[in-house]
Amino acid sequence: MEHELALPSPPPKKASRAAALAASGAEAPPPRPGAELRAAVARAVAPLAFGNTRRAARKLRGFARAEQGSMLDLRLAAARSPSAARRALYLRHALDEARHARMLARRAAEVEAGREPSGLSLDREPPDSPDDGERAGPEAPSSGSAAREGDVRADSEGLFEGLGEVGFLAFVYVGEGRGRAQFAAYSAYFGGRGDERMRAMFAALVEDEARHEAYTWRLLVELCGGERAARASVRRALRWEAWRTWRRAGKAIAELAYGALMGALYLLLWPLAVLVRRRLPERRGWGPGEEA
Amino acid sequence: VAAVLGISAHYHDAAAALVIDGNIVAAIQEERLSRVKNDASLPLRAARACLSIGGVAAGALDEIVFYENPYARLERVLVSLLRAYPRGLRQFPRAIGAQLGRKLWVLDELAEGLAVPRQRVTHGAHHRSHAASAFFCSPFERAAVLTVDGVGERASTEVWLGEGRDLTSLGAIDYPHSLGLFYAAITAYLGFEVNEGEYKVMGLAAFGEPRFREEFSRLLRLFPDGSFELDLGFFGFATDTELGFGPALEALLGPRRAPGRPWALGPGEPDQRWADVAATAQLVLEEAMLGLARRARALTGAASLCLAGGVALNAVANRRLQAEAGFEQVFVQPAAGDAGAALGAAVLAALARGDRRPAPLVSASLGAAIDDDDARSMARELGLATSNPDDWAGSVAELVEQGKVVALARGRFEWGPRALGQRSLLASPRDASMRERINRVVKRREPFRPFAPAVLAGDAASFFEGAPSLLTPFMTTVCQVLPAARPSLGATTHVDGSARVQTVTAGSSPELGEVLEALGRRGLPRAVLNTSLNGPGEPICASAADAIGFFVAHPVDALMVGNTLVRRPPR
Repeated sequence: MEHELALPSPPPKKASRAAALAASGAEAPPPRPGAELRAAVARAVAPLAFGNTRRAARKLRGFARAEQGSMLDLRLAAARSPSAARRALYLRHALDEARHARMLARRAAEVEAGREPSGLSLDREPPDSPDDGERAGPEAPSSGSAAREGDVRADSEGLFEGLGEVGFLAFVYVGEGRGRAQFAAYSAYFGGRGDERMRAMFAALVEDEARHEAYTWRLLVELCGGERAARASVRRALRWEAWRTWRRAGKAIAELAYGALMGALYLLLWPLAVLVRRRLPERRGWGPGEEA
Repeated sequence: VAAVLGISAHYHDAAAALVIDGNIVAAIQEERLSRVKNDASLPLRAARACLSIGGVAAGALDEIVFYENPYARLERVLVSLLRAYPRGLRQFPRAIGAQLGRKLWVLDELAEGLAVPRQRVTHGAHHRSHAASAFFCSPFERAAVLTVDGVGERASTEVWLGEGRDLTSLGAIDYPHSLGLFYAAITAYLGFEVNEGEYKVMGLAAFGEPRFREEFSRLLRLFPDGSFELDLGFFGFATDTELGFGPALEALLGPRRAPGRPWALGPGEPDQRWADVAATAQLVLEEAMLGLARRARALTGAASLCLAGGVALNAVANRRLQAEAGFEQVFVQPAAGDAGAALGAAVLAALARGDRRPAPLVSASLGAAIDDDDARSMARELGLATSNPDDWAGSVAELVEQGKVVALARGRFEWGPRALGQRSLLASPRDASMRERINRVVKRREPFRPFAPAVLAGDAASFFEGAPSLLTPFMTTVCQVLPAARPSLGATTHVDGSARVQTVTAGSSPELGEVLEALGRRGLPRAVLNTSLNGPGEPICASAADAIGFFVAHPVDALMVGNTLVRRPPR
């Protein structure tokens, strides 16, 4: 069970993007066609992406990893920004991302295991199950390790260090907008299918993403000294992201080719394998130690 | 007189350690700063943090030393894969890719990342670095040293003689015969994460009966000369590095346990078989370690033993070594795993440059301190209710007395995997219900995992058998709780009557010492439940922001961060 402390100035409930932006005091940036395009794609592929439990679990895990990675970058930003106010905002945002990651990962595990969802919402993680407690005498441990299903592993991209604070904020702003549009599409999809749990989960994510989008835009405008410069930084972030996608695609293709080549090389090494087995047999028992 | 930075990286628990003029100035694991648990990436953040603490620019370093020989490591990987031919087909691209893509160039990466000339970056040897981290941080002038882990460049286990400024290797057992990999495979078999879940196996073992002795005698054969041998037919180190075991192990012991399922232990319960497997694995490991230690004693004739390597973090095995291996004293430095080898490598390089041997390590407080201004401003920006009590330790003691769970983040954070009072969660150790509350609600971890009690070293003998010792300040052993003390340590006494005790002095953990003294002033036993300040799957907190983030996200009652007390508003 999670008892996250409600921090002051919570986001407005049921906030739309416009409401979140209004609450943040920032003007809405012009809509970005890219985000809407992604939303349209998300709507179109949702039946495929969530078509069976395995694919649905994989999709949810992918989102969980993305949220966890975002959390790590925000934690680093919270450690590095020169402004205490921004550090606090990044920390608050990081806590949201960690919560999202746990929630999505747990939902993925539930979907995969074919279990009924355990009443997840963004505000509370599942209550302890009724059979928690001491089961076989006073020293026997209770159940409860299912909580570990919420653990997610991800890596930081070092965005704050690599892009600087403005570049980092622009990148986060773009990502939050994309996430909002994508999650809204999924929420509508599950609403249409009558899956209230999944609809509510994605709808709750949309609320948070809208709030994050709003505050990052406000900070971006502040740091850039105006909306025009902020938009320019967003364009730079989009270009950088496109370049990263290109590099990632190249890396994925290279890895496939490398794997095939190295596999073939390994098979060709059989004479060397025979030699190694004869000349360098596995040593058993005590032998001389290794030195630098 | 030299400034040397030691580095370990690229396998698990990357770390940096700074030694200046023979003094250990700072030692930090990368995970504390990157917030990625068991972060293995090149520890540039940790390196820079160490340099900042030491007030040294990277360019002023005399040497940066990597803890092992990357070229010898590549050779071993290649030879192992060829020995496993053709079963190594799936691993070959991955393993060689990792070596050639990054690990082989680690010395160049370090030079580039820290902007120092390449010729100042050198490497040590894996087990020598481990051995140095134990022996040169110990109070001994002469000792047997045992390094036991998964695998180094070639060896998995090595025996040394430490004398003064020298370490002499007396023999080694090579990969793939490895106690670390044996225990890791059982960890994976039980559904835990390798390099993280080994503690869980140790905790789970107390709930089981070692009834699989016969089966385990086929997995791991122990010989009278202290050596051991794995039956590799049951393991898959070269073919499946994620699990480390093959179908034959499941055929022998039954199906593996699926990760993440709730636990149900007790007679007739479905998980009891796995607890029995854990108990047998633990017992077999202890016996193997005893054999090694007795061999080390016979070879060296030394009265003292130092241990290092990941297996040296097995506190239950360490107790048996201390009691049964024939040594008067045993020492394990707090970061006995691969992280600690960064420290050993730095000390070795400093000694080679003529510096003096470091003073014995009495405190693990080698990380960065809490920035009090940062703590205050962060709490203020988040709108948290704060105060600055004159008697901070008294305030913490009062909260503990009231049954509250208090997060404590003061001073420099700890070196190694244990929270020793600088980044800790503290609570009353009296009632078993507190263990349940923290396990289930705060830490959300497996319910069989025990919590540690911290007591003043001077009081230890009234709570525990065999405490204090050189192991107890760093929580690297367990002790039996005295029957008379059990009512006051209900939350920290494990099912077998043991506790992984921490003894506290003003030199080892001053912050915790003050809290314990304050508890005494309130007429309470000077004992407290001490567990690490982290959520599930997270590294232990380092900075004020980490601690405040933890406080916001977890149901603890108060946080003492630096001099600022943060209270949770009443519901």
